[in-house]
Amino acid sequence: MEHKDWNNEHELAEFERKLRLAMQHREAPLGLKQRVLARARERRQSQRGRFWMLQRIAASAVLAAVVGGFAVYRQVEERAAEQKRGEEAREQVMTALRITSKTLGRVNERLVVNSR
Amino acid sequence: MKRIEVWTSVLALGIVAGAVSALGQDALPAPSPIEKTLAERATHVTEVTLDKNMLAFASKFMDGDKDGDKEDKAVKEMIRNLKGVYVREYEFDKENSYTGAELEGLRKYFESSDWSPMVHERTKGVAQGTDVFVKLVNGQMQGLFVLDAEARELSLVLILGPIDIDKLSGLGGNFGIPKDAMKKAQKEAGK
Repeated sequence: MEHKDWNNEHELAEFERKLRLAMQHREAPLGLKQRVLARARERRQSQRGRFWMLQRIAASAVLAAVVGGFAVYRQVEERAAEQKRGEEAREQVMTALRITSKTLGRVNERLVVNSR
Repeated sequence: MKRIEVWTSVLALGIVAGAVSALGQDALPAPSPIEKTLAERATHVTEVTLDKNMLAFASKFMDGDKDGDKEDKAVKEMIRNLKGVYVREYEFDKENSYTGAELEGLRKYFESSDWSPMVHERTKGVAQGTDVFVKLVNGQMQGLFVLDAEARELSLVLILGPIDIDKLSGLGGNFGIPKDAMKKAQKEAGK
């Protein structure tokens, strides 16, 4: 029994020794702080770079969509305006021919009456 | 040296005169000042001015392929070679709303040496009558001018370019240009 207690005490002392050793203040290796800070900075920069790239791609896509949409809208609008102008011109031709027809018909009638 | 300058000037003048003459043959006239006063008195005015480009543009919108659009097809065919269409129609609420001098002014404004009179008809005592002129080139009708003055209506029609009378007559059957008058005008132009 005495032998068992002695073993436990010995193990505890060993553990305490290891713990003390582990908790002992030790100076950091030279340049560790700079290396850690540099690595952290690098990581931050790479993350920021990726974010910027994504942002640029997204902005370009939005810009391309806006410009493309505007171009299509203008084209559709121009086509509609041309269609409208064409219909108006067609109507004008028809009006001109209607008046011509009416006038010539009247002239003809008058000549027929006069020739009787 | 001086001779070269003279010949250059003559050549330049010739080119300018040719260009002006060519332009004058195809171009529609500017509206006569009389039209403005007539329009002010009229209750209803219809003004149509279509140059060659406008006629070509309008013809694009005349779809002859559609069913039941035979009129469009015929009109498209007819205006294809026209150089210009100038039509004015004035309707008045009172009779004799225009004077004989105005009629004469209009006739003189549009008339030129190229035109042959086809119909000239006047009603005695009132400013009413009809004038029809045709422009004939090698026996082909290259222009038609009609000035028809009724009691309450005044119509002015000027068509420039080759006009096919048969096609014109075929449109709705109303374009009845008297054949005898046409023959008479052709004879006069041939003189």
